[in-house]
Amino acid sequence: MRIHPKTSMKRVPVDSRTNDGDMQRTIGNAEYFRNVVLCALYRTRKVANMSRTWLKWMPAVVVPVLIASAAVAVPFAANAAVTLPTKTPAQVLALIAGEKVTALSGTLSQTSSLGLPELPTTGADASSGSALELLTGSHTARVFVDGTAKQRVQVLDRMAERDLVRNGSDVWLYDSKKKTAVHSTLGERALGTSKPEGSIPTPDQLAATLLKSVDSTTIVSLGSDLRVAGRAAYNLVLTPKVSESLLGSVSIAVDSETGLPLSVELFARSQTTPAFSVGFSKLDLGTPDASLFTFTPPAGAKVTEKAPKADSTRPTAPRSPAEKPTISGTGWDSIVAIPVDTSAAGKKSLSVTSSPLFGKLTTNVTGGHLFHTSLVNILLTDDGRIFAGSVPVAKLQAAATAK
Amino acid sequence: MSRSDMSALPDAVFRSRPALGLPLLVSEISVLFRRRRTWAMLASLALIPVLIALAVRLTSSRPPSGRGPAFLDQVSQNGLFVSFVGLLVSVPLFLPLTVGVVAGDTIAGEASAGTLRYLLIAPAGRTRLLIVKYLATAVFCVAATLAVAIAGALIGVALFPIGPVTLLSGDSIAVGDSIVRSLLIAAYITVSLLGLSAIGLFISTMTDVPVGAMATTIVLSVVSQVLDSLPQLDWLHPWLFSHYWLGFADLLRQPISWDSFGSNALLQSGYIVVFGALAFGRFTTKDILS
Repeated sequence: MRIHPKTSMKRVPVDSRTNDGDMQRTIGNAEYFRNVVLCALYRTRKVANMSRTWLKWMPAVVVPVLIASAAVAVPFAANAAVTLPTKTPAQVLALIAGEKVTALSGTLSQTSSLGLPELPTTGADASSGSALELLTGSHTARVFVDGTAKQRVQVLDRMAERDLVRNGSDVWLYDSKKKTAVHSTLGERALGTSKPEGSIPTPDQLAATLLKSVDSTTIVSLGSDLRVAGRAAYNLVLTPKVSESLLGSVSIAVDSETGLPLSVELFARSQTTPAFSVGFSKLDLGTPDASLFTFTPPAGAKVTEKAPKADSTRPTAPRSPAEKPTISGTGWDSIVAIPVDTSAAGKKSLSVTSSPLFGKLTTNVTGGHLFHTSLVNILLTDDGRIFAGSVPVAKLQAAATAK
Repeated sequence: MSRSDMSALPDAVFRSRPALGLPLLVSEISVLFRRRRTWAMLASLALIPVLIALAVRLTSSRPPSGRGPAFLDQVSQNGLFVSFVGLLVSVPLFLPLTVGVVAGDTIAGEASAGTLRYLLIAPAGRTRLLIVKYLATAVFCVAATLAVAIAGALIGVALFPIGPVTLLSGDSIAVGDSIVRSLLIAAYITVSLLGLSAIGLFISTMTDVPVGAMATTIVLSVVSQVLDSLPQLDWLHPWLFSHYWLGFADLLRQPISWDSFGSNALLQSGYIVVFGALAFGRFTTKDILS
């Protein structure tokens, strides 16, 4: 049956109305659906844009986090996983005694935090070069050793350097700041045994001095193994038994291969950071370049010749017993007493007490002036005697009044 | 400008986009070095060693050793030291000053001149523009350092005798060797300034006022040096970008100590990465209104 649309529409108006309504709803739905899709698309794009914005800030967040974690992880990883064959303290002491390192080149860093006031280091020319400099702050030196007769120590200052070059019996001291070169010849007796005084003690020199005082008053133990200058090392700990010493403990890092002391740290009583430490930050056991040990003073430097040491510094006449420093007490508790020095040098040293720096560094105590550091107390009595020791002030005062 | 704006551009623009942005870099550098300001800064940097050399030449008395900047007392005996003194004197203030001006101007200068959006409408992505701007600043760092070093060497040769150079260690090296060391020092100082350039670039993306960015960068370099001289903050010192600035003396030791060169390069690259990332985050998300 063929129905004309017009007639059919006329015939069923209600249906058409309902149809109409359906159609309208269908259109509404489509529009609604389109809107929903568009809105969703818009929102995803907006979210995508936002996340793109966020992504662009990502490097700025990630990079500092990476750097911070590397800064934490690298030293940690360097110290981790040092496992050495177990040794007794006695075996480590024997290892040090059997040390046969003849040649090395390395960088030493030395730090002190003795509780002294620190002076600001400003500008390029802040190296002090005074005797006090070892007591504050930190210093770096390079050390080159070839055999017993060839040494070079370079104390690296800012924009300056102090050099000590020893080749056989010839010793040169060069100061780049003052432009001075001092030449001296070591006497036959001193050859091979004495070490020219450098301004930074090397760990093996310091360890040798400290190990000399190991006796029954010292507990020798081993701490956990560590890594110094990239080398695995045993950690030898010396603790004074006596409770009165200011020195809490000494820890010496001993190279596991050669027995060379790599670092020495002195801890004051009840302190966790070392009051004084010196150690290699870089070490190479190869023979240094021979040209390092030949020194010719540069043009323009003031060259002075110093007479052999044995003649100049030591008085020819032996000191009378009254002038000699005396040591009382034993082990870590010992007190060094230096009597009144009447010589010209002594008068000169006494004039030090009138300088304003002296007043700042010392405090007035009964019986004299006290120079206090976390490791050592030095009492300068009013009559010019000096008492020094790693002991409390009261013991020094007692020693001073006992005489 | 957003990505949808870019899509309105004809395809040909995208096709003609250079792969490395090399022409952009060349044009950026030529714009930088065509500025009278750049040449004025380079000339005043070159004037520092010239003034030092003239002062030493014209005063008859030798400066007492140990006073004044290091190496000054050696200038009258060896002209090659003029460039060392010049570099030493200009590292704390003059070089950071000029680098601060150039780095602070990078983005903020374009923004204040109203040329930034044209730069971005031209087929240069924001990231690429940032990198090109940074590289141009780095080129200026090289030029600034060399201006001091070369002017110092020339005036030194002209006014003073030339001979073997005495190093800090007391050893002497030949003239040829000393030129190599001068170039190493110039390289060291250039590297030292790269961290500051990155900081300047980041600050420059934050503002439309170039003078503000320049001043902030320069002030930061001074603040960093002041903090570096306070012993109470020694835990912070290895992280300050100016910490190794004067460490180039290590190149004047025998044998050369490369420690500070390595630490300096590592530190500066850290600053470049951190402030580069910050500048990227800021510059790629900000609305360019001018």
